[in-house]
Amino acid sequence: MLDRRFLRSLTKVVGRPNVLAEPADIVLYSYDSSSATGRPDVVVFPASTEEVSRVVALCAQHRVPFIARGAGTNLSGGSIAVRGGVIVELSRLNKVLELDLANQRAVVQPAVVNLELQNLLAPHGFQFCPDPASQKASTIGGNVAENAGGPHCLKYGVTTNHVIGLTVVMPSGEVRRFGSGVLDTPGYDLVGLFVGSEGTLGIATEMVLKLRPLPEAAQVVLALFDTLEAAGEAVSQIIAAGIVATALEIMDRNTIRAVEVSFPTGLPMDVEAMLLIEIDGLAEAIDRQAARCAEICRTLHARSVEVGKTQEERTKLWLARRSAFGAHARISPAMLVNDATVPRTRLPEVLRGIQEAERKHRVEIGKVFHAGDGNLHSNILYDRNDPEAFHRAEEASREIFELAARVGGTITGEHGVGVEKTKHMHLLYSPQDLHAMWQVKRVFDPLNLANPGKVLPEEAEASQ
Amino acid sequence: MSSPTAALEHLERVVGPAHLITATGGAATLAEGVSEYRVDGQMPLAVAHPGTQEEVAALLRVAREHGLSVLPRGAGRHMHFGSVPGPIGLLLSLARLNQVVEYDANDLTITVQAGMTLGELARITGANRQVLPLDPPGGEAATIGGVAAANLAGPLRMRYGAPRDLALGLRVALSSGEVIRTGARTVKNVAGYDLTKLFVGSYGSLGAILEVTLRLIPAPEERALFVASLAPARAREVAAALVGGRLDIATCDLLNHESAKGMRLFLPVTLRPENVVLCVGVMGASEAVARQERELKALLPEGVARAEVQDLGKRVRDVAYPRSREGEEAKRRDELSVLRLSVPLTAVVDLLATISAEPGWKAAAWAGDGTVYAVGPAEVRVLMRLRGAAEKAGGYAVLEYGAPELKRSFPVWGESVANLDLMRALRRSLDPSETMGCGRLV
Repeated sequence: MLDRRFLRSLTKVVGRPNVLAEPADIVLYSYDSSSATGRPDVVVFPASTEEVSRVVALCAQHRVPFIARGAGTNLSGGSIAVRGGVIVELSRLNKVLELDLANQRAVVQPAVVNLELQNLLAPHGFQFCPDPASQKASTIGGNVAENAGGPHCLKYGVTTNHVIGLTVVMPSGEVRRFGSGVLDTPGYDLVGLFVGSEGTLGIATEMVLKLRPLPEAAQVVLALFDTLEAAGEAVSQIIAAGIVATALEIMDRNTIRAVEVSFPTGLPMDVEAMLLIEIDGLAEAIDRQAARCAEICRTLHARSVEVGKTQEERTKLWLARRSAFGAHARISPAMLVNDATVPRTRLPEVLRGIQEAERKHRVEIGKVFHAGDGNLHSNILYDRNDPEAFHRAEEASREIFELAARVGGTITGEHGVGVEKTKHMHLLYSPQDLHAMWQVKRVFDPLNLANPGKVLPEEAEASQ
Repeated sequence: MSSPTAALEHLERVVGPAHLITATGGAATLAEGVSEYRVDGQMPLAVAHPGTQEEVAALLRVAREHGLSVLPRGAGRHMHFGSVPGPIGLLLSLARLNQVVEYDANDLTITVQAGMTLGELARITGANRQVLPLDPPGGEAATIGGVAAANLAGPLRMRYGAPRDLALGLRVALSSGEVIRTGARTVKNVAGYDLTKLFVGSYGSLGAILEVTLRLIPAPEERALFVASLAPARAREVAAALVGGRLDIATCDLLNHESAKGMRLFLPVTLRPENVVLCVGVMGASEAVARQERELKALLPEGVARAEVQDLGKRVRDVAYPRSREGEEAKRRDELSVLRLSVPLTAVVDLLATISAEPGWKAAAWAGDGTVYAVGPAEVRVLMRLRGAAEKAGGYAVLEYGAPELKRSFPVWGESVANLDLMRALRRSLDPSETMGCGRLV
């Protein structure tokens, strides 16, 4: 239970309408888009950097954990409270503070929604490159905290490649500026260190983003295959052919079915895999590349190959892919989202491994892959009311993580470690590697109040 | 601190006499003739050339035990970076660690040891028609470890990023002798803190980078460089249209007259003292390059020429890294300074004009990322003026080259560096004995 004085002080900072502490309200903030849950003690809605700073300073003074929260689209439990405390809900910090197109930068507050920003930029011929599948809902603050990716990061890089400055409320409440409005700020790359730290090093309340001109043209090639391996092979051959696609996405049969049942797009239900390829750039540059991709797919006996050149055609071909996650969630509200990422040359063997795990543990896995960068989303569906099913799903997930680590991959490509994957961190990192991360954490947050219980496993460190 | 002799003996036991150079003995002596190991005029107590990562770790343990400060070194191309170092106990050369660790060509990633030069790396990846899109001043002789430690990039940064963006993971030896791994070998990874970013650009102050995993790109089918001589107002307009437009150019460099006249033989345009020279690099499919050429001609009715000289791009970058006879002469007389300014894109052309107003000052800018190099006589007054101009535009100015006396009167990183307290705390957390880096950055 929280100290009354603490609650009064919080209320004084943000105002009574901006504090939620009733049990019914608290329950609503016990979830995010992962399967993890946890109850906070109170939710506050600060309206400025200064208010965030004062809230966090109070938390430090009273030794209360605090958890920053944006749209709650997190897939690893990063935005839930595992040790109670204060949810710092940032939705009131939702302004685009500056659009400086001539200097290819924008300054935004954390609750600006990714797609809203894109819609603001597109008419001017610019984009913010990260485009996570959740972009309709997810916020830039969340993107920064998670170092979000998206289908197009294959060519343009992930969030950290597009952030140059941050205003950060440190876990003490102190406000700092990391980076600046230009590319090279003297000193350590504190922006690079902070991006992807999942709210465990502080709360970013303003971000300076690097923008990029939109490509002139794009084409989408959509190929259907009778085996998952053939789709994987097509990806390998496209990369080996020296084609830098903007996106290389695979969906397996389970996913196609889920999509067609929920949001019919006209895909045949009996194909094993769909491969979507997007190429962008100068119109002259992409014609031959798209044709080459189509040719590779045909040589690998694709059942059909379709090329979309206009915006409408492209949107139509993307529709099934964009609906995949929602479709899985609709047919099975409970799923474990595995986000292992592997070197692209190991895709065929890892695909086989995932199919084996599926059989062995009797689970259904919807496979939606950012195949171009080796990022495999295995959505492991289970029945929430059957503890044994959950256990099997967890076992399958663990096996996929182990396989990914064994072939030189990682346990998460874009969803974050959160609370769900801390137990798997040792698959990638030695105790010394993790100790170095803990050292960094202690410098920023000596009291371990910033989103505790996330990212770093505590047991390993305790034995150091 | 124990006696220097004991420390040196201990170091020698690790690498063998053939790979340790000291003031008193070893393979060579640090007396006359080994001046390449001086850093800002200072001789280190010893120079070690370890041949394995285990030897690096052992050297670091010995250094810590004996209280020797350690400065990592690659090919020695950029040792003039940073503040004048404190006493250097051990200059840790990573030049012998120059092998490919893993090259998975179909994955477009490569892991190499820190001492591999960019030139060698280009040769190896070139065999598979792949390139590392990184073109820092100082060129092919620089090592990947050194370039990562300084986060040093060239004009291609506007399209492909800096080492911070291209490095996927590292292996780093900490001062404790522990070797840690950061990042991964995949192009995407968000497991844990991105310590890669912390070490890249830390100038050896947190640990010695042993290995770097990099992302590569397929070699472009065709490359071309187009040159035009423009009045500053036109240069501003054209550069803005190019870097903010959809023509998908790869580089966009601007030279002031003082720089351009030094390479007049290689520039296919008539130079005018009041003009700025624009060099636009394109790379990609041949149809795209043909289209870019057409559009550049349309955009520049006053004339644009395709450069015939293959290495013009390198000459442009070398403005920032003077190796000419004249440049070397000026360095010897301690009369040269190189200032790297980072400003918003719209401030680039004005800054070029500000630099050009100083007699004898060369300037080269990468207009697509806001980097401007100013190269001229070592005059604090001028340097302060230029730093002032960059700061007024919301940017920074870092002294990349200067004699120790100049660095003492003109702070290398700026009058004040933001978050220095936090950086010091980070440094102490990873290097509690404060062995690494010799105070060049933190």
